[in-house]
Amino acid sequence: MASANEIFVVGIGASAGGIEALEGLFRSTPAGGGLAYVVVTHLAPGVASALPEIVATFTTMPVARAEDGAAIERDRVYVAGPDATLTVEGGRLRARPVPPEGRHHERNPIDAFLGSLADDAGDRAIAVILSGAGSDGTLGLKAVKERGGLTIAQGTDGSAPRHHGMPSSAIATGLVDLVLSVEDVGKKLVEYVGSFGALSGLVANGAEERADAARRRICALLRDQVGHDFAGYKERTFMRRVQRRMQVLQISDIDAYVELLGREHAEAVLLFRDLLIGVTDFFRDRAAFETLERVVIPRLFDDGQPGDRVRVWVPGCSTGEEAYSIAILLRERMEATGATRQVQVFATDIDDLALETARSGRYPEALLRGIDPDRLRRFFTYEHGTYTLSRQVRDMCIFSSHSVVRDPPFSRIDLVSCRNLLIYLDGEVQSRVLPAFHYALKPGGFLFLGSAETLSHRTELFTPVDKKHRVFQRRDHVDTPLTVAAFLSSGVRPAGGVGGGGTGLVGSGRGATPAALTLRRAVEARMLERHTPAHVVVNREGDVVYYSSRTGKYLEAAPGQPSRQVLAMARRGLRLDLRVALQQAAETRRPVHRERVEVDVESEGRVQVVGLTVEPLPDHEADPLFLVVFEDDGPTLARGETSTARLPSEEDAALERSERELRDTRERLQATIEEYETALEELKAANEELISVNEELQSSNEELETSKEEIQAVNEELSTVNHELGFKVDLLNESNSDLRNLFESTRIAIVFLDRHAVIRSFTPAVSELFSLIPGDRGRPLTDIASHLDVEERLHQDVRSVLAGQGPVERRVIRRDGRAHHLMRVLPYLDSDRAIDGAVLTFVDITNVVASERQQQTLVHELNHRVRNMLAVVTAIATQTLAWTPAPGAFAPAFLGRIEALARAYGLVSRESWGDVPLEEVLKEEFEPHALGDESRLAASGPKVMLRPRAALALGLVLHELATNAVKYGALSVSAGRIEVAWGVEDGKGEGADAGRRLVLRWREVGGPPVGKPKTRGFGSELIERQMCYELGGEVEIDFSRRGLAATLAVPAGEGLFDLAPGG
Amino acid sequence: MRRDGKGTGMPTSRPAEPLDRCRVLVVEDESLIAMDLEGMLRRAGCEVVGPVSRVEAARRRVEEDDAPSLDMALLDINLDGEMVFALADALAERRIPFVFLTGYGPEVLPERFKGRPITFKPYTQTTLLALLVEARRARGAEAS
Repeated sequence: MASANEIFVVGIGASAGGIEALEGLFRSTPAGGGLAYVVVTHLAPGVASALPEIVATFTTMPVARAEDGAAIERDRVYVAGPDATLTVEGGRLRARPVPPEGRHHERNPIDAFLGSLADDAGDRAIAVILSGAGSDGTLGLKAVKERGGLTIAQGTDGSAPRHHGMPSSAIATGLVDLVLSVEDVGKKLVEYVGSFGALSGLVANGAEERADAARRRICALLRDQVGHDFAGYKERTFMRRVQRRMQVLQISDIDAYVELLGREHAEAVLLFRDLLIGVTDFFRDRAAFETLERVVIPRLFDDGQPGDRVRVWVPGCSTGEEAYSIAILLRERMEATGATRQVQVFATDIDDLALETARSGRYPEALLRGIDPDRLRRFFTYEHGTYTLSRQVRDMCIFSSHSVVRDPPFSRIDLVSCRNLLIYLDGEVQSRVLPAFHYALKPGGFLFLGSAETLSHRTELFTPVDKKHRVFQRRDHVDTPLTVAAFLSSGVRPAGGVGGGGTGLVGSGRGATPAALTLRRAVEARMLERHTPAHVVVNREGDVVYYSSRTGKYLEAAPGQPSRQVLAMARRGLRLDLRVALQQAAETRRPVHRERVEVDVESEGRVQVVGLTVEPLPDHEADPLFLVVFEDDGPTLARGETSTARLPSEEDAALERSERELRDTRERLQATIEEYETALEELKAANEELISVNEELQSSNEELETSKEEIQAVNEELSTVNHELGFKVDLLNESNSDLRNLFESTRIAIVFLDRHAVIRSFTPAVSELFSLIPGDRGRPLTDIASHLDVEERLHQDVRSVLAGQGPVERRVIRRDGRAHHLMRVLPYLDSDRAIDGAVLTFVDITNVVASERQQQTLVHELNHRVRNMLAVVTAIATQTLAWTPAPGAFAPAFLGRIEALARAYGLVSRESWGDVPLEEVLKEEFEPHALGDESRLAASGPKVMLRPRAALALGLVLHELATNAVKYGALSVSAGRIEVAWGVEDGKGEGADAGRRLVLRWREVGGPPVGKPKTRGFGSELIERQMCYELGGEVEIDFSRRGLAATLAVPAGEGLFDLAPGG
Repeated sequence: MRRDGKGTGMPTSRPAEPLDRCRVLVVEDESLIAMDLEGMLRRAGCEVVGPVSRVEAARRRVEEDDAPSLDMALLDINLDGEMVFALADALAERRIPFVFLTGYGPEVLPERFKGRPITFKPYTQTTLLALLVEARRARGAEAS
């Protein structure tokens, strides 16, 4: 009990019909209750189980397959796998693989798990048995209960279990605390755990005195209600059981429980049973069994005849532990002494399911704690977490359904072992059962009772052999007090049994007289029976209320209505005397006697002389009764003989005749006896045969039982597998439907081919590429016309993929050129990763192709521009170098031009090669020369947008003008300014655009006087070239004394500029 | 480094004689490049016809004006968005040799002009002049 200490572990056993039950349970179990759940089912080994996945759909708690060594954690669900036997050790799961050869053997995985859980978790173990056939789980539940855990079985209210076997078997043990519908289990568990915490302090802290007082009161109540004194019980054990009942009832206050106990007898009985739990284990009450072994067992073998069987009867055997314990003791004795006598242990119970469990002889480890390790090794084989009894012991035991109360008892039994059955029976039934045991036992046979059981008031039947351990021996001189039905009028004592020995009336359910017969009474009864004259008892009216035997000689049935009137029944000759005697007796209340009354006995006229006595019985003043006694006086005589003296000769003749008759009769008797003996022998033989047939039947029956269990197990596995299959089919349907939707919605054309390139299926988008209709499934792809440009290549690709040469990817174009596709041919792999066909996918990449083309064009154009620009730069360098006289002036001039070009490019590229405002070009080119003073430029004009070409050319021109102004013109002095004005002017030409042009006027003001330079510089050349050649325009430069003035004109015809709207 | 007398050329090694007095039509829309080509050709001893920046203007020159005496042509392919190939066809018809000059790659040439001499911007004067010499020599061979 290490780490599982803190956690309540719920072991859930389920089998056939279990999935439904699990669903009901988990759906209604609140998460976060702090419990751990372990589900154990019967699964076919070697088959992958989807149970964890299935269970996971029922609950929000994490669900995992139970792995070996996993620590059990709160709020988790563990599901046992099919190939291992699951147990718990120190709060960890242990999954021991089942060897393949053991897989088809029967296993009791639920018993094995619950048994180990009981050991490991103690009172924190909870066993829940759900739907399932068979009886697996019953013993495990027993172990849990015994260690103080809670036990629950699925009940029939709510959703009833589909198979009742397992829960019913558990319930039949009487050890189930709660029978609930699965929907209530979860809630109850959480409540239970809650109350557990509240109660655990009950005994421990502070409340000790109160608890002790309560214990004493409970003991007193139990003594009153069930007659058993638990005052000597261990306090802790006692209080733990009390707590357990309180938890089940969810009463948290001990005084409230004591009050309930006083009020409800049923609760007292339940507590009493709880207190006695566990004594059905193997050799559980070790000292008692040792006594049995030492005192009784040897005598069973020693006392009987060598040929006799030793017969033991274990009534109320439940799941068989007691019967097997005794069988083991007997087997040990036989082996120790070499005794060869046959031994039979009849184990009976009314619970067929318990018998089934008992017959299989498989027990979880937890129930075998009391057993000596030597015995365990010798008589048990360990298999899959459970111990199975050896065949030799099982063969000794015959389990059958039998009620000790209802059915006739067994007979000729050497030992009756009936431990802890009587405590479940009330006093009246007990006093019927004990005589049945007495009857069943052979003379000197033994009775073995449970430690809490007594003979109550039937002590006359048995002598104690060991008082402490409840071993008794049959008292032989007591005739079993058989009782007849009390049909006599009140006050008339039954005069004893009818025949000798018991005749099946024992325990027959009729009323029993409480009075015990003494030996004297038995003798009296015998005497009355055998050696007293015939008599009847009549009332005052003469009605017979009692007949002795052999009254027929004196009385006969009267004709007419049946009557009990003795005078009507009296034979001829008797009636008169009887009437007179009865009258006298009634009057005088004294005995009246009449001698020599002749009574006609037979029709041939024979007469019996009788003495008649009528005597009033004492103690019946109000309704007096009279005893009428008939006493024969000599043999019957012929009529007339009575009055005449008999002659000697006649007597001799009669004697001779009698002797002859006697001889004849003896001979006949001898013959009859011989016949009888032969018949008896035959009967004996027949009986032997019957017994052996019976045994064979018994063993066949057991084999059948075993097969039935096997079939049941297989059936359960099948049912579980079936459920799983159903679940998988659902999943499959879902996936199929997903796939179908995907197929129908996807715009990707997909064709599935089998390994012969025959079409398996395709998506609707394929119709864009192939002339396919749904009916074409199953036709070879080569039969289908395609709209693609690569038909032959395609078939080749398919063949190569089918041949395993890897996937192919290719761009294909529709013949009409409308669409481009990326075709992929991939191998279709089956579950073994082998090629089982091909998948053709066509992704529409028309847009991609178009974009690629566009991109290529752009790259092309960019290359062109870059190269052109490099050529321009080279040209500027070449020209500047050629025109620059001083080497030092080259760099500033060249760089200035490159920068001017760069600025113009910057503007143009900022607009993504769109139009640029003239004003911006001007400002951009002017700015580096303005030395930070914007006011030196006065720009005015409408908003004119320049084409990139015009912007670049004008940019260079303006740069040259500005450079010149800085060097020689207005910008060379601080007062100088430049005025730039532009506008669109209409010329004199004809047509819409003819003569229309952009005119820009550059005027320098406030600069030094300028003159026309003597040589034309590169700047002028550049300006002219740009204006005239590049733009097809004009330029006019006036070197006036007031300052340089330039007029630049760009014609509209080339579309190099636009007047912006509103500009 | 040396400068020629006119002051319009670049210092360069004197190209081969065969271009002396050769009349070369220059078709180029970029004025600075046109200027540069003009200078280069002059220094090589050529007589520059043009330069012209438009196909239409160039065709007029070829058909009416100087055509009979035109020896060769240097053609920029993209003239402000207009392709020069129509002019090239006209020249080919007249068996006037020409050299393409372009900022594009070789793929820009239509099939019919594959094999024609072409040089790419940014050009070097040496390569360009060598191509012109080659073209002229080819024509001479063809004529004889």
